[in-house]
Amino acid sequence: MTRTAISVDHIARVEGHGNVHLSIKDGAVEACEMNVVEPARLFESMVVGRKFADVPYIASRVCGICSASHVITDILAIERIFGVEVTDRTRALRELLVYGSYLQNHASHLFVFAAPDFLDMASVFPLAMSNPELFDQALGLKSLGNQLCNLVGGRSIHPITAVVGGFTHEPSRDEYLAMADKLDAEREFARAVVDLFNGFAVPDIATQGDMMAMVAEGRYPVADSRWARFLDAGVTFDADRACEQVEEYEVSHSAALFARCRQTGKTYFTGALARINASWSALSQEAKVAAAKAGLRPPERNPFLNNVAQAVEVLDALGRCADLCRKLAEPDGPFEGGSAPVPFEVRAGVGTGFTEAPRGTVFHQLELDDAGRVVHATIMTPTAQNCANLEADMRELAEKFIADGAETPEVRAEVEKLVRAYDPCFSCSVH
Amino acid sequence: MGCGNDERQARDLSRVVVIGLASCFGCQLQITNVEEHLTDVLGQIDLRYWQLASSEPMPEEFDVAVIEGAVTTEESEATVRKLRERAKCVIALGACAATAGIPGIASRNFFKRPSQVYKDVPAACGSMVVPRPVGAVIDVDYTVRCCPIDTMDFIDVLQRALYGSNKFDRTGTMCGQCKRNGTDCFFDQGQLCLGLVTVAGCGAKCVNLGRACNGCRGLSPDANLEAARAACERAGVDPDDFDEALALFNQVERVQSARE
Repeated sequence: MTRTAISVDHIARVEGHGNVHLSIKDGAVEACEMNVVEPARLFESMVVGRKFADVPYIASRVCGICSASHVITDILAIERIFGVEVTDRTRALRELLVYGSYLQNHASHLFVFAAPDFLDMASVFPLAMSNPELFDQALGLKSLGNQLCNLVGGRSIHPITAVVGGFTHEPSRDEYLAMADKLDAEREFARAVVDLFNGFAVPDIATQGDMMAMVAEGRYPVADSRWARFLDAGVTFDADRACEQVEEYEVSHSAALFARCRQTGKTYFTGALARINASWSALSQEAKVAAAKAGLRPPERNPFLNNVAQAVEVLDALGRCADLCRKLAEPDGPFEGGSAPVPFEVRAGVGTGFTEAPRGTVFHQLELDDAGRVVHATIMTPTAQNCANLEADMRELAEKFIADGAETPEVRAEVEKLVRAYDPCFSCSVH
Repeated sequence: MGCGNDERQARDLSRVVVIGLASCFGCQLQITNVEEHLTDVLGQIDLRYWQLASSEPMPEEFDVAVIEGAVTTEESEATVRKLRERAKCVIALGACAATAGIPGIASRNFFKRPSQVYKDVPAACGSMVVPRPVGAVIDVDYTVRCCPIDTMDFIDVLQRALYGSNKFDRTGTMCGQCKRNGTDCFFDQGQLCLGLVTVAGCGAKCVNLGRACNGCRGLSPDANLEAARAACERAGVDPDDFDEALALFNQVERVQSARE
């Protein structure tokens, strides 16, 4: 009998702290654990008793890079409870802000976290010497995401201007137009990024889990649909039912709760790959062509292709955001009127906010009392939803490599690559 | 306290490690957001460990430890003590490390909280302790304030740590900044703003964008809380609201007892 243990403590190039433990006995994977060891910050307890206006501000701190998504999701939950109808312009600005975080997140993940896996580097920094042009372009794309978040939210992370009912500040017409030009200018590089990641060889595996994404008829929604869908199960539900449809459960080896579809009991993947599978037909023509050229077409079940899916989303988002910026700059355009916070009345109730964060679906369910103070909060982040599926995929991947006679270091390296392809945020998952 | 300039000159570059505790990782991301200056910054240091950006393992020896996040577990407490023993210079990065920040909100009734989130608290959570800033556990040489940090602030502090500086930290409150900016005062509209007691240095970014200061830079050493509460009452703001808002980023009792 031979037994091998593979352990990776504090997986590098991810946000937060996660360990992987695999135990292999006689060529079979005996145990496989995604061990999330992030310190609990207890957000769901912290917000109890606080006034509604503070809550998005606090929730933003669940995650640096998805901060825009957490702010908007929380605001949507509060507006659901108060019955606030915001202007189309506010909705457009929210979409723009969330997309800004897509550009930030995807550029950071693709180049700072994932690319070194395929370039045989410990970090992206050596790329500054070996391929300075690519290094500068990659940082340029990441910077553009920061600039967009800055423009709309007032800061690259933890946006300032988004509040219940609208925005406290708006960019000028010239700022919108200058941003639109910058976004357009970035598209050529974005097409090259899809090709670059398509060129990286990845193991051929298929997740056995389901997938979940926000859906809307004829659109690629990220912040303005209430509908979520388990793609395989074909279960579509309103965000207010998220806590019924998603079963969160505890495992002792993870400070993050795990999740599965309550109806089918299956774990699931959420993120760029799930969105592309769900809303492929609503991608821009340019993004669709780039994706098809990269062999990414629904149904795609290989979690490693989440990297390519993110690259496709970058291309799609650039065009979408440039268009939004131009429309926002038109005095008589489709978003005429203001984004200043609309008046509302505080009332008690329960409501769920829902957005597609860069890393997948995020739900915030809030219960407020008559004074607008939090009675109860449930936050479901993308990585918490992904952990169980990641664990299952890690096992499948390890089994495949062991069956092919791979040595321990190779299995370990591939498992780490898989973790990074999921683009996890462990700090976010333990909120 | 600097970073041992004589020794540093004997080698070429200061060896830097970056460590994250309980946080959103946003301040570490802000370092990567230096973007076009990233290679200039990295060129001045020998970056030995940064789990967020590199798979190089944690080294035994280093000069500067940059610590993000609040201390919330016994394990983190041991980590920062070990970092202090080995590092010549410790930089607290961001509000969580500087004031306990948002994780610090959980301090009150802390031990009742885990069971509000978990049925059985997972072993993976570690041994939880009441959230506190890094400076409450070890001596800190430099602090980069705000939630999130301003990227340029980080570069400024790093330069001071690397090359030494006789620059004093600012102590004045944010109100002076708003006067210079010529922005309207929230108190004039009967609304609460924590600029009254918060240390200046961010340019009053939030106020410039139409939002009151939330105090993320931490209490100013010049802050007079009693006078601030009285000022709130004069403006028609409930002083209890002031105290509640201040607790968002500041463990007021801890700051006050440290000063006494």
